Amino acid sequence: MIINDVVCPFCGCLCDDLELEVEGDRILRVQNGCSLSEATFMNDTRLPAPIRRTASGWEEIPYADAIKETADILRDSDRPLLYGWSSTHGETQSVGVHIAERIGAVIDNTSTVCHGPSILAIQEVGHPGCTLGQVKNRADVIIYWGCNPIEAHPRHMSRYTTFATGFFVPDAQRERTIIVVDTRRNDSGGIADEFVQIEPGGDYAVLSALRAIVRGKESIIPKKVAGIAKEQLIRIAGICTNAKFGAIFFGLGLTMSRGKYKNVRNAIELTDELNRHTKFVISPMRGHGNVYGSNEVFTWMTGYPFAVDFARGIAFYNPGETTAVDILRRGECDAALIVASDPGAHFPRAAAEHLAKIPTVLIDPHVNATTALSRIQIPCTAAGIDAAGTAYRMDGVPIRLRKVIDRGYPDDAEILKKIYDRLNGELGP
Amino acid sequence: MRVILESKVRKKPNIPIEAEAIIPRNFLKGTDLLVYEGNKERTLSELFWIFVEGTAVSPENIEVVLKGDTSRIKRVGEYMDTGSILISGDIGMHCGNFMSGGTIEILGNADAWLGREMRGGTILCRGNAGHYCATGYRGEKKGMQGGRVEVFGSAGDFCAEYLAGGEVHVHGSVGDFPGVEMRGGQLIIDGDATRPCANMKDGTCVILGRVHEMIPTFEKVERRVIPEWNITADVYRGDIANRGKGTLMVKTAGSE
Repeated sequence: MIINDVVCPFCGCLCDDLELEVEGDRILRVQNGCSLSEATFMNDTRLPAPIRRTASGWEEIPYADAIKETADILRDSDRPLLYGWSSTHGETQSVGVHIAERIGAVIDNTSTVCHGPSILAIQEVGHPGCTLGQVKNRADVIIYWGCNPIEAHPRHMSRYTTFATGFFVPDAQRERTIIVVDTRRNDSGGIADEFVQIEPGGDYAVLSALRAIVRGKESIIPKKVAGIAKEQLIRIAGICTNAKFGAIFFGLGLTMSRGKYKNVRNAIELTDELNRHTKFVISPMRGHGNVYGSNEVFTWMTGYPFAVDFARGIAFYNPGETTAVDILRRGECDAALIVASDPGAHFPRAAAEHLAKIPTVLIDPHVNATTALSRIQIPCTAAGIDAAGTAYRMDGVPIRLRKVIDRGYPDDAEILKKIYDRLNGELGP
Repeated sequence: MRVILESKVRKKPNIPIEAEAIIPRNFLKGTDLLVYEGNKERTLSELFWIFVEGTAVSPENIEVVLKGDTSRIKRVGEYMDTGSILISGDIGMHCGNFMSGGTIEILGNADAWLGREMRGGTILCRGNAGHYCATGYRGEKKGMQGGRVEVFGSAGDFCAEYLAGGEVHVHGSVGDFPGVEMRGGQLIIDGDATRPCANMKDGTCVILGRVHEMIPTFEKVERRVIPEWNITADVYRGDIANRGKGTLMVKTAGSE
């Protein structure tokens, strides 16, 4: 059977034009997708049943036992941590927030190790952004700063920027100017009209210098800023101010390098400054399929996009204090529930070590590095493959993920709902 | 009156305690106060041995002394307006939040957000301070607005971010981005600093040590003798990227 208009749940692009050939509970072919998308659908090896760690290895247990034990661990904890949420749908995320509020937990999502600093910067100075459709149809100058879309978001350039024909940019490849800023010449840098090689950690200084140049204060800028010649900076500022519509996309090269949210803030303030001359927008290149959705769901439920601490019964937010990495590094939490993510592979060593010391439960369809740190793993559906639900694209557009096959696993929202009901019954009204 | 709180040994010593109730004024009515350990509410006596010496009729005569392992106790001195707190060891985050009067002295190190959004009073930290010393809360336009914070050791990153008033004096060195987004007040750093005063709007910063990675958008105005510090300094205006009118003074090498 051929299914059209399937949404790929892998990265923040959420490409919604895939064509899948399926037979029973198997996917045979993926059309239109990138290599990441193909791997997501085709190499989907699942954990068959819930498992519990024993003295010598693992044993399979029924779902009911796994759910009961998870609820017991969470109920007995003085400072539980609920982390992950980015590779599943909004319906699961909302149950997660309810559990956090019920048991006084800290709930955090993967923004904490990716675009959290972008959110901090947006909270300071706002977000001059737009949807990807606007960029596709209007932008004639595109800046990729600290990101490598060819490898990380392979269809970003062909669907929205460099190679995409837009209403006001009919001859995209000729009419769009692409600037890539990175510490090394990556694949995306190879197809740029202007490649800017920046010294590691020099983003803030370069952005400050560009702001000053756009303001006409180039006389005070030194001959070189973070390895970039002043002439090149002036040329880039010229390209930007002469654009009809410019768009900056930035990745972890900006958010997770030295300076973090101040880098992003500086980039937003450069965008602000450029808007005195022409139309300019800025957007983060979100990684996980529904990481933007976790920010949306957390915000509409708690008021904060990530790192929400319910220990006092009300939502408190302070990245650096209530973020998962910091809580783990300081050894604060005494139980953890990880949903739809893999902190074992991505967290600093000290943080991952603490996960192994405390009772950690993983709810994820696949065996991953966090499995090795967990006491219990409960397999569930994978959103966008065998479960339907809402996800948000990197520009904040909600897209309904589709269920294309049924493999007989329970939805993670369902599992969490059962945990929540059990906690509710035990803890009373 | 002197209230001595000595921390008891806890089963899970890493779980943070939130103790905004520990301010001198609250001890006028006794020691029956509530604090939080993780997500559990506790009475003060569950977590501390409490000793009270003498009596007091007004809060300014109350001294609170914290002893034992206090490094995980957050929010001590939050909204404090008078009296004094002496901490004999290290203290946790958010010590002296929104403080408007009185004195806090820390003999050990202070964790992050020491004196966050402080309005008045004095904080003396004899050891080192963590990140975000004397700053504001996330997204807040004004950080510390008044009072004085003196750190005798070093301070971490983002020291005096959004400083809007008052004085911050660090005797040691500071980390990355001291005085970032500064809009008033005075920041004095005896040691070294990296990328100071980025995006500052107003206020004054004096650095007596070495500056690493000067922000390129500061305009050097002059080199002159600063009588109150008895030094020769390069005086910069900035941040130009921000149309800022702040003053950054960096001691020239070898001048006394």
